[in-house]
Amino acid sequence: MTETPAPARGFGRGLRFRVTFAFALSGLLVATVIAAVTDTFASRYVVRQREDTATQQAYLDARLVRDELAGSDRTPSDALGALELPSGTDVVLFHEGQWFASGLATSEESLPIELRERVLAGEPLHQRFRTRGEPVIATGIPIPSVDARFFEIVSLEELERTLGIIRATLLGAAITTTLGAALLGLWVGRRVLRPVGEVSRAAVSIAEGDLDTRLDPGSDPDLAQLANAFNAMVDALQARIERDARFAADVSHELRSPITTLAASAEMMQSRRADLPERSQMALDLLVEEVRRFQDVVEELLELGRIDAGVEPLEPEPVVLGELLLQAVTRRHGELSSSIELGMDVSTAPLLVDKRRLQRVLANLFENAESHGGGVVAVTARREDGRAYIVVDDAGPGIPDADRTKVFERFYRGSASGRRGSASGSGLGLALVAEHLAAMGGSVAITDRPGGGARVVVEIPWRAP
Amino acid sequence: MASRILAVEDDTRIRAVIRLALEEEGYDVIEADSAEEALELFATSDPDVVLVDLMLPGRNGFDLCRDLRRSSDVPIIMVTARNDTHDVVAGLEAGADDYVVKPFVVKELAARIRSSLRRSRRTEGGNERLVFGDLDIRPDAGVVLMGENEVSLTKTEFRLLCELAQHAGMVLSREQLLERVWNYDYFGDTRVVDAHIRRLRTKVERDPSEPEHIVTVRGLGYRMQT
Repeated sequence: MTETPAPARGFGRGLRFRVTFAFALSGLLVATVIAAVTDTFASRYVVRQREDTATQQAYLDARLVRDELAGSDRTPSDALGALELPSGTDVVLFHEGQWFASGLATSEESLPIELRERVLAGEPLHQRFRTRGEPVIATGIPIPSVDARFFEIVSLEELERTLGIIRATLLGAAITTTLGAALLGLWVGRRVLRPVGEVSRAAVSIAEGDLDTRLDPGSDPDLAQLANAFNAMVDALQARIERDARFAADVSHELRSPITTLAASAEMMQSRRADLPERSQMALDLLVEEVRRFQDVVEELLELGRIDAGVEPLEPEPVVLGELLLQAVTRRHGELSSSIELGMDVSTAPLLVDKRRLQRVLANLFENAESHGGGVVAVTARREDGRAYIVVDDAGPGIPDADRTKVFERFYRGSASGRRGSASGSGLGLALVAEHLAAMGGSVAITDRPGGGARVVVEIPWRAP
Repeated sequence: MASRILAVEDDTRIRAVIRLALEEEGYDVIEADSAEEALELFATSDPDVVLVDLMLPGRNGFDLCRDLRRSSDVPIIMVTARNDTHDVVAGLEAGADDYVVKPFVVKELAARIRSSLRRSRRTEGGNERLVFGDLDIRPDAGVVLMGENEVSLTKTEFRLLCELAQHAGMVLSREQLLERVWNYDYFGDTRVVDAHIRRLRTKVERDPSEPEHIVTVRGLGYRMQT
């Protein structure tokens, strides 16, 4: 029962994950396309802008050089020196068969051969390339009037940086968009799945016995339909459980009254048994035995009914297990006929347990051992890994492997039922043991006792008070 | 003189078998088939123990317990459906001293009645006086005083208080109290003790939610503070 929330949660995570993933993927796609388009257009625009500026600047500078060279006593070096070049800009001049450069780091070698050749041939040209690992744009302008070729090399480092920033910004935007979409998806998924969560929580709470749990239909007509259907189902379930419980209560009342009279009358007759003729005594014995058996079966059925209906709450109280075992054994035998072996913990430290249920469990186990197992020979108890273990050994023939789980089923009488005492055994005793233990969070199993006989191992959680 | 038992039970046959069984044990039995008749008979015949079936037509057994408790400290044993958790606790709260489950074993019923009758007697302790602050207990006189005022306790409550007071400072487990006051074995219903402690506290504690005299020792039981 406690495992029911797990699959519900798993389901929610799966669907939520898929919604989130789909949103994130859409976000990523949209962001990528927008970023790619933006990048293409932006860089093309920025580059053209830069080229235009460089070309304009080159023509201005070329005109200045031409004017300088046209002057009578001006050398090419003077002409270059007259230029006010911004940093990152270099100029190479070819004048009357000789090369001149504005800086030491620059020479005609910095220019690509093709550009050089074509400009020398008289064609104005500009070209982008890398020199010394640096992006540059070179503009070549022939100035035939003074027999010069003017080359201006402008560094595009800054342009690259600008483009880098644009790209980084676009990438950042794309990531943000994707994450945003994922978050949106998560939120939408959670919102859409909230009713599913509510339904599963309600179902768990109903399964745990709170039948008054209902869903709030809310204002959303789509969800109201689900909520109403769910509530109607729970109403029907509740009505049915209440009807069953009422029926069980009525049955139990109607059966108890006659059984009370029968049992008490039989008991009184038995106290006068010696006064009766022999054949009446035999009849009385049968009567007493059958009344007792009838009473046991009815009580056990009602007990199972109460467990099924879940109307009997657990009532844990602090119990010293060792003491309880001693009392249970001595109550049954009057004295200690079987050996009891108790671990240190179980005879001193108390644990929280439903004492009456545990007592019912032990009584049924002892009863079973006596009817089918030749009596209890040893009871041991120990505490291990946060659980209490109670082991009841009998001296009987043991229980075949195939029957070891079946004996805990209701009305199971075993393949060797012929050996069973005819007067006892409703077939419910061990079923009750299993059901009570399950309600207490424990379990029961049967193994072999070393040296013959059956060994019943009861295990319950050790909760400290 | 034989002790007188008032048996309140609506089922004629069960009433008849109770009469047979208890007369066999030497008791004087008077019968009532409703709460109303029981109250009338109680006033006129002064029984030593009242046996109340909780499932009565008309005014039910719980109401009867409360009505009886208003004027009397007589031991009340309720008869309830087996393990009907809610009924047992509610019946104890209504004033019952003890309970037997249906279908009952005659011997068990007789044992419960005997134990109730034993509680009715005063303890023999000489002129003992047990004083705890404002609480003054005189076991031999059957009197408990809170300051100047006498506290009205049922016989079971009185026995329970004496048991705790006579072992003041010691922790008594629920099982020990069950055995000493109710003559139950270890598997008696400890809720009987808890319900009586609750009732007792409303009578001898200034603030029952913050008890000064009868304290709960978690996991162990109860102790009378010295």
